Amino acid sequence: MLRVLLAKDLRRARRNPLPWLINLIVPLAMTALIGLVFGGQSDSGALGRIRFAVVDEDKTLLSDLLRGGANQGEGGKYLEPVFMEREDALREINANKISAVLIIPTNFMRHYLTAREAVSLELIKNPAESIHPAVLEELLGAVVTALNAVSRNFNSEFPEWQAVVEGKEDYHKVSALIEHEGDKLKTVKKYINPPLVSYEKEAPADESTGVEVKNGATNSVASKSGTTKNASAKAGGSKTGATDAVFAYLLIGLSAMFLLFIAGNAMSDLYRELRQRTFERYQTLRDSLVPFLASKAVFAVVMLLLCSGMMLGGGGLIFRIHWEQPWALMTLTAGYTCFTAALFAVLVALMPDERRAAVLNNLAGMGLGLVGGCAFPPQQLPAFLREHITPLMPSYWFVNTARNLQDGGTGVAWGWVAFKLAVLALVLIVLAAILFRRRFKTGLRA
Amino acid sequence: MSLLRVERLSKTFGTIRAVDSVSLEVRPGEIYGLLGPNGAGKTTTISMISGLLKPDAGEVWIAGATFWSDPQKAKRIMGVVPQELAIYEELSGRENLEFWGRMAGLSSREARSRAAELLEALTLTDRAKDPVRTYSGGMKRRINLGCALLHRPQLLLLDEPTVGIDPQARLNILEFIRNLCAAGTAILYTTHYLEEAETLCQRIGIIDHGRLLAEGTLSELQERLGGDRVFVLEADFKNTSPDAWAGFHQRFRVIQKSERQLVVAAVGTRDPSECLKNLLDLPVHAENVTLKRPSLNDVFLQLTGRELRE
Repeated sequence: MLRVLLAKDLRRARRNPLPWLINLIVPLAMTALIGLVFGGQSDSGALGRIRFAVVDEDKTLLSDLLRGGANQGEGGKYLEPVFMEREDALREINANKISAVLIIPTNFMRHYLTAREAVSLELIKNPAESIHPAVLEELLGAVVTALNAVSRNFNSEFPEWQAVVEGKEDYHKVSALIEHEGDKLKTVKKYINPPLVSYEKEAPADESTGVEVKNGATNSVASKSGTTKNASAKAGGSKTGATDAVFAYLLIGLSAMFLLFIAGNAMSDLYRELRQRTFERYQTLRDSLVPFLASKAVFAVVMLLLCSGMMLGGGGLIFRIHWEQPWALMTLTAGYTCFTAALFAVLVALMPDERRAAVLNNLAGMGLGLVGGCAFPPQQLPAFLREHITPLMPSYWFVNTARNLQDGGTGVAWGWVAFKLAVLALVLIVLAAILFRRRFKTGLRA
Repeated sequence: MSLLRVERLSKTFGTIRAVDSVSLEVRPGEIYGLLGPNGAGKTTTISMISGLLKPDAGEVWIAGATFWSDPQKAKRIMGVVPQELAIYEELSGRENLEFWGRMAGLSSREARSRAAELLEALTLTDRAKDPVRTYSGGMKRRINLGCALLHRPQLLLLDEPTVGIDPQARLNILEFIRNLCAAGTAILYTTHYLEEAETLCQRIGIIDHGRLLAEGTLSELQERLGGDRVFVLEADFKNTSPDAWAGFHQRFRVIQKSERQLVVAAVGTRDPSECLKNLLDLPVHAENVTLKRPSLNDVFLQLTGRELRE
């Protein structure tokens, strides 16, 4: 019976593939969109190398130091500074060839050493990109914080250093100055080494370093871009890269949300069966409605699995995400797709009016996604939802378990969650059959 | 024994009484026509008989057993042809037939061979592989009918199966239904076409506002009008009434009266010429008097006070 019903739907889909294709294009488009927005990946590192222009209008020793430090050591792996004039740099950014322009303005060193007025570095961010300019902004904030720290500690010696830089002091004076500074540096060593800047996934700052990196916290950084984003990363400890974790986290949530919407579309074929009275005709021949609904759900699940493959698999390829336990994730996804298909079968039974149902289905999908922590981290949800409602949401079961799997958690009960989702799907299909039967008996008209 | 027996079937939707105490019987090899205008309760009656709707009151017997005692058994006995084209437009005619055959419990082989038989009988063999969406209205109607016949039902419920098709296609379908009846199938046929009920059905039930107003053979229904003839008198009746004419109601029964027309049937078995003379003697200026055989429309008119075509 199920085979005959599935064969019928397969034939119909083959003869009229447009609805299917649209449903398959949605995840493709979504994955491509995320890829475009977040800039994709390169082989050299998690984020790829950030290409940016440095415009040195000061042309002094300090600006040379800043220029030189931009691509030294570890920074060279991630940063690719190119040095050019302001006009050329602006042309490059307009042509979308660089992520940002860092301008070291005229008299930067003079103002810094005399401390007469606040110094400022100018950062022009490429509005067509989001992650790379944001990372640069964070880095620049750290640099300026460091410069401020140096200024606070060595302010009294700055006039002498200015004289050195301008070539007015003799070598004895210079060596005495260096020795003095060396002694002073010993006292601030712990702030400078280990590395000045470190990011934690959860905590934005490590108070012990005395350095807090916040967007806009450094008044000496002028940002000309309209949008800013915080880039968070993990300081080692995980097998996957920092951005891997971020994108995997995002991708799991977004996929869970989109699967809900696609399930709504896939199950909308039930409306067609109602409208064309073929569902009624089926009922004049068979007493049980479960096989009919199960076949629709199975058909939808196939489509949803293809879509999830595109989103999670394709997204994984774009962002070079290493899925920690792919088989477990697939099983979990299969359970979740069963649940979503069955859920929308119930919603069709509850709301046979197709136009009203479109709104209801979207609301249901969105609500389940949001409350289930697909779009926002569940920790950020209001306390009541987070503590009493979210844990009951099957969407939360899925995203939470999938994210735990990806975080490398051991002993994640993915099998039990997949089983729970599958059983819930069965219960929902039976419920949909009961609801349809009741509605038919009281006079359902699509 | 009747294959279908319906007793005091009722259904209410909100405040609307869609079907009100309808009782009827259909015997093997008989076409029972349920005649009534749109909204009379025909489809609701068929929906209750086929188990799609649960009746508020009354009972349905299929081959001697109540429908709800074993719905699946009852469904195996009956075939239902809905008013709407309940077929898959993307599939071919053959695929539709085979699919509904499988749903009716036939094996793959049985469904294939039965589909071929029906395509032949419905003269659709040459278009069997084409998608149904490319078919004409009449061809779709024939496939819609065929989809209910795969399992050779003993009882066939046809809900206005000829709506919206051309006269030639209608004749083909009616001929096909006559053949089914000749083969012993009991058929409940709903329609609002008078001609179909008159020419196709052995017994007719007239339904309006959910109530079965009269039933019987065509001649039995005509008898209700007092014989096999009615008189149509055309005159100016604006300022006069039959109630004012002495002895009129003893000789004639008024079927319909308007400002320009009076339709009457003679009471008793009087000679038509005598009736004509009586009508011409009435105190109105008669412009025309017509004698005709009473139609189902006249019966409907007499029962409801309005024409079926209104």
